Amino acid sequence: MSYLEYRVKSTPSGLRKVLYLNWPLALLLISVAGVGVLMLYSVAGGSFSPWAEPQIKRFALGFAVMLTVAMVPIWFWRNMAALAYGLSVILLIGVELFGSVGMGAQRWIDLGFMRLQPSELTKITLVMLLAAYYDWLPAERTSRPLWVLLPVLFILIPTALVLKQPDLGTSILLLAAGGAVMFLAGVHWAYFAAVIAAGIGLVTAVFESRGTPWQMLKDYQYRRIDTFLDPGSDPLGAGYHITQSKIALGSGGWAGRGFMQGTQSRLNFLPEKHTDFIFTTLAEEFGFIGGISLLTLYALIILFCIASALGARDRFSSLVTLGIAVTFFLFFAVNMSMVMGLAPVVGVPLPMVSYGGSAMLVLMAAFGIVQSAHVHRPRGSH
Amino acid sequence: MTRTPLRPLARILPARAKGENPDAIERENIRQRHAEMQDRARVRAEGRLLVLGLFFFCAFIVVGGRMALMAVSEPEEPVASTHGAAIAAQRADITDREGRILATNFETHSLYAQPPELVDPVAAASGLVRIFPDLDEARLIRDLSGKRKFVWIKRRISPEQKQAVHDLGDPGLMFGPREMRLYPNGKLAAHVLGGAGFGREGVNAAEVIGVAGVEKQFDEYLRDPANGAQPLTLALDLTVQAAAEQVLAGGMKLMNAKGASSILMDVHTGEVISVVSLPDFDPNDRPRPPVSGDPSDSPLFNRAVQGVYELGSTFKIFTAAQAIDLGLVSAETIIDTSGPMRVSGYPIGEFHNKNYGKLSVADVIMHSSNRGTGRLALEIGPERQKAFLGALGMFDPTPFEIVEARGGQPLVPERWTDLSTVTISYGHGLSTSPMHLAAGYAAIANGGHYVSPTILKRDGPQHGPRVLSEGAAADARRMLRRVVTGGTASLGEVPGYAVGGKTGTADKPRPQGGYYKDKVIATFASIFPSHDPKYVLVVTLDEPSIQAYDEERRTAGWTAVPVAAELIGRVAPLLGLRPDVEPGPRAAITLTSN
Repeated sequence: MSYLEYRVKSTPSGLRKVLYLNWPLALLLISVAGVGVLMLYSVAGGSFSPWAEPQIKRFALGFAVMLTVAMVPIWFWRNMAALAYGLSVILLIGVELFGSVGMGAQRWIDLGFMRLQPSELTKITLVMLLAAYYDWLPAERTSRPLWVLLPVLFILIPTALVLKQPDLGTSILLLAAGGAVMFLAGVHWAYFAAVIAAGIGLVTAVFESRGTPWQMLKDYQYRRIDTFLDPGSDPLGAGYHITQSKIALGSGGWAGRGFMQGTQSRLNFLPEKHTDFIFTTLAEEFGFIGGISLLTLYALIILFCIASALGARDRFSSLVTLGIAVTFFLFFAVNMSMVMGLAPVVGVPLPMVSYGGSAMLVLMAAFGIVQSAHVHRPRGSH
Repeated sequence: MTRTPLRPLARILPARAKGENPDAIERENIRQRHAEMQDRARVRAEGRLLVLGLFFFCAFIVVGGRMALMAVSEPEEPVASTHGAAIAAQRADITDREGRILATNFETHSLYAQPPELVDPVAAASGLVRIFPDLDEARLIRDLSGKRKFVWIKRRISPEQKQAVHDLGDPGLMFGPREMRLYPNGKLAAHVLGGAGFGREGVNAAEVIGVAGVEKQFDEYLRDPANGAQPLTLALDLTVQAAAEQVLAGGMKLMNAKGASSILMDVHTGEVISVVSLPDFDPNDRPRPPVSGDPSDSPLFNRAVQGVYELGSTFKIFTAAQAIDLGLVSAETIIDTSGPMRVSGYPIGEFHNKNYGKLSVADVIMHSSNRGTGRLALEIGPERQKAFLGALGMFDPTPFEIVEARGGQPLVPERWTDLSTVTISYGHGLSTSPMHLAAGYAAIANGGHYVSPTILKRDGPQHGPRVLSEGAAADARRMLRRVVTGGTASLGEVPGYAVGGKTGTADKPRPQGGYYKDKVIATFASIFPSHDPKYVLVVTLDEPSIQAYDEERRTAGWTAVPVAAELIGRVAPLLGLRPDVEPGPRAAITLTSN
């Protein structure tokens, strides 16, 4: 049960809802997407095809999706959470059975008009389910072992399915975002301490077992870790991405080479230059100032989400808003760290900037939910 | 935790007494409890949110800081370190003294096959034979269709051949990068450079190793990546070397000689500016050493360094210089050169049985009198003569930094008798290389210091121990000049460059003992400009023979000297020497027109 009854009468209704939208957030999203279009235009050598134009269309579609979702009352989304989660898990299983293989991993379901990536969808439905769960769960039970085990299962099922595709990046994102929602819901800190301790133990075990008959990872996986720790050891092989993107960032300097002047990405030194590694183009062409500006835009989006969550009067609204903010944060933080050599290359796109349909649509839908929570919160006296 | 009862009797009962509805109290308490729980949850949630916010903040700082760090860092291309780098390391270039390339590296390809990958071994084999006619088709078919997993086809192929093989389109034919040594000047300085070949060979790279000359001598340095591909700078001057080779080749042809060598050396630094040995070869395609015949007839043989010859009368100047140095004579002391003269029962004769009578020491050198020199040597004695020649390095292997120099071991008589003393004084009975002779003349030219010849560029004078007094060296230089102005080397005069020098014509020894009557080694050892010598030039012709004035001439004065004169005339301007007139003896009174 929820502590607060929704005071339907004090929430805006009808077209008046548009006035109550979190417009600053919407404007921030538009500007980030604008940066993305600019970069895709530059990467294609000053051309709207093949990437910038579809990206604009997708963003327009995504913006419409966001507005539509925002108009639907937040309690509807709360009630739909379990269903959405169930559906996305079924889709994940479906990908396993019927999906097509792209880039050595099975991630897509071809819906005819677009290719759906259920793992993207899962990032949001998992957050929704966990928020709804803690909304329903009486506060005093939050830290009881049995009631902790249940959300852990909710997290682990899709994580395992995504890991099997294999998509290490998304599974890490799922784990982290789910854990963050549990943390925000107030689960006792001792559980997190235990998980972190176990994690450190596991990492130690994985490294200690290297070279022994009980080796826990495959050789190439160890090599990837080695490359992450020292990209210089194999600059033409596994360390190629990182080394090249470091060159691009370094050559950008403070103010960059100027729009469309980046050589590193334009001359095709960088693979995935329009998707996961698009940040290098930005950093090369607009330098540190450009990079830090994009980072600031992202930080503002997170800040507006937190502010919106603080104003929420019910648990679902605040948890789902924060959960989505955390997911969004993880997206760009992992991507930027990866490009800058702070994290291993795990294939996480730069949100709203990288070329890609599923991720953009799903993120816009998620921000639709954030907007819905913002619009439908009780206002006035109570 | 104390809980407020929902229906506390203490409040219910008075309410009932007042006739109020007790349920209102319960409702109020429930609302209060909810509010409390909500507040607690909110406090906790805000604490958690604070932790998360802190985490976000730290992440922003880290990412932003990293971005700033990378922005200020210099973009630096990574240095490739792939497997096989150990043998792919670039061999350092070799340059002349001005930095002009003598040896560098060149990327080419090797061709090999992986038979399991071949689509059609027979077609591939016939295609390959069309491109490389020297391949054996039957054997190639056998190799390519057999069980072998790897077959070398060609070690080095040209880009055109590579394209042709590529056009065959068989995926089983593969190319491996091959770095090979390139000598862009072809035959130039072939004997110094030597050549390079492949050591360990892999698919991706092959080790280039020096097989001769400086390439072998400095192999370790050239291969050492720690030197950062810093080129090896030789003392050679490319233009002078080219001119010397051209003149010497012409001279060798003109004089009907079968071989020739020349050494041009800086008398102060010991730097060898040019060293030529003919016939020569192309180090890009170094011939195999001959398996039969005389190895000294092979083009690979370095006459200037490896060849030890009795260099004849060119040695006389050492005897004269030492005698003056010891104070036994002066340049004007009169020596009786008339015969007959016998030493240990052997007659000592003169060229063409001439008799010069009484001569001054300077004239002994000018006319190249054997008896005169022999008498001086007897005055000096075997011990002092041996010590002096030893100080000039005449008993050590050729002092020069190419591997072949170790083979230039002088032939020294086992017992140094009086007869040896006399014959050695005019250059017989002791065999040395032309390089030894050049070092000896350099000592006279530079004022009496021994200098060791070197192929490496030096920064300044490398004066070794003093072997002659300044005065004796100056006397010797004047004597050498007189040989050219009025003696046996009169064809050696080069206008503007006062050449001094001494000829030497030695009969070639027969392998079975004794000497040939009609085969000589003609040598001209010269210094120029003689009043302040900068360079020593030694020209040696092997078996020269020309017809002049209805007579067959073999002596150095007719053969080696004109070649040397032509050579000096050609290289002196290249060396930056200003042509001038030799200052004559100063007149006591200066005559002027007024």
